Amino acid sequence: MVELFRSIMTTISVAAVPLMFFVFLGWGFARKVKVYEVFVEGAKEGFTTAVRIIPYLVAMLAAIGIFRASGALDILTSFLAPVTSLVGMPPEALPMALMRPLSGSGSLGIMTELMKVHGPDSLIGVMASTMYGSSETTFYVLAVYFGSIGVKNTRHAVPVGLIADVAGMLAAVWIVNLLFR
Amino acid sequence: MLNSIWVSLIMIGILVAVGNDISDEARNTYRNGVPLEATIEVYRTPSALRATWEGDLLIPADAFASFYGMATAGGEVRQPVSVSTGPGGESLVAIPVGESTPARWKEMARSAADNGRLTATIAWIRFSPEKTTASVGLLLEPIRFVKLKAITAAALDYALTAVNISLGLIGVMALWLGVMKVAEEAGLLRVLTRLLTPVTRRLFPDVPPDHPAMGAIIMNTAANMLGLSNAATPMGLKAMEELNKLNPKIGTATNAMVTFLAINTGGMILIPATAMAVRAAAGSANPGIIIGTSIVGAGCATLAGILASRLLQRLPRFRRAMEADHG
Repeated sequence: MVELFRSIMTTISVAAVPLMFFVFLGWGFARKVKVYEVFVEGAKEGFTTAVRIIPYLVAMLAAIGIFRASGALDILTSFLAPVTSLVGMPPEALPMALMRPLSGSGSLGIMTELMKVHGPDSLIGVMASTMYGSSETTFYVLAVYFGSIGVKNTRHAVPVGLIADVAGMLAAVWIVNLLFR
Repeated sequence: MLNSIWVSLIMIGILVAVGNDISDEARNTYRNGVPLEATIEVYRTPSALRATWEGDLLIPADAFASFYGMATAGGEVRQPVSVSTGPGGESLVAIPVGESTPARWKEMARSAADNGRLTATIAWIRFSPEKTTASVGLLLEPIRFVKLKAITAAALDYALTAVNISLGLIGVMALWLGVMKVAEEAGLLRVLTRLLTPVTRRLFPDVPPDHPAMGAIIMNTAANMLGLSNAATPMGLKAMEELNKLNPKIGTATNAMVTFLAINTGGMILIPATAMAVRAAAGSANPGIIIGTSIVGAGCATLAGILASRLLQRLPRFRRAMEADHG
């Protein structure tokens, strides 16, 4: 069942991009759109958008880099571990939950490390990989998306993103404990 | 909110780094000024004629662990070194960091004076009668301010990473924005938007159902679910740009933008390909076991994000931010 779902989804993922090119450009050509000119017109924005993101991303990543390199995560982990064990999260998985919204490469590193130490099919291994799959790097998305249109006052976006992250992590802990404990 | 989180990340980082360095200094974590007993297996017999000689530095696992006060002992240390005579007649030992270097030394080498290479002086040396081995007392160079050096390096590294990421986006962005533009002109996005209007009208009540932003939002969500992150980002940025056209106060996030971001950061994905690849590489018997659990986790995150965005947007402080210039 899982295998079937997986193979169907993998096929769709592989075929999606060529299919989109085929349908979009083919449909456009059939509708007498000047596809080449229109494509170039749209593509022009790629450069300015990408460059506009730079200052926002530098600000965000430099702060996260300082936080990561200082070893603050270890201290935070030792403070929070007694609280999070109450909801069934092993202390080893806590750095993963804390790192996930901050840094994609950081959480990838923690996940790989946890699997090396505890094994990919252990409770901790499954939980860490579920956590990785249960959320996006909130602060990166925030910086890139808002940076591209120059939004500086993000209003409730940060609390909303963090609430979603906490919910995702708790749900991951709950479902993994339910199925694999 | 973002201001306070941003500045606390930096401030906490700096304070913790200073604290860690002070505690390292107080406990002498890196054993500055304490000679380490070791044996050198000499490759070629040193003589008065040869200024430089080489050998393998040997330290038993237990001795190394107890010297640095580590709880668990690693393997025996076997590390190539070269010994030369310094300007003042003292013996200098260069310890190039390689695969066989213990983790503690690798960490120390990162904040050594000569970046990436540890050096030591010899406190005392006794050769065996055949001159094939020597027992030495090594005085490693003093290592200080490890964390302060690390955060400096991290700040610069990450700034470069940010630029690399942004520049790397240029090509993908151009490609997908071009394709999207064609789809838009051909009226394809409008067809797609109309199909999903019942859903999108509830999620984004402030956006007209046939607005181009809707098409981009739908495409972005679909690409995210399929795990096509290369395609998802340009479409998401296109959606933000379109949403910004409806923004009465440029520079401030609208309700629709926050809801859209909540859906995005929820990370709804049908196949968590990266996590599965790491699992497979780590030798998992069943890498795909996390598909179901990830969908549950991401589903909860997305749902919580949407609910939170709908509730928080009503709070007076966030409503005021949107209206301030108009009232």
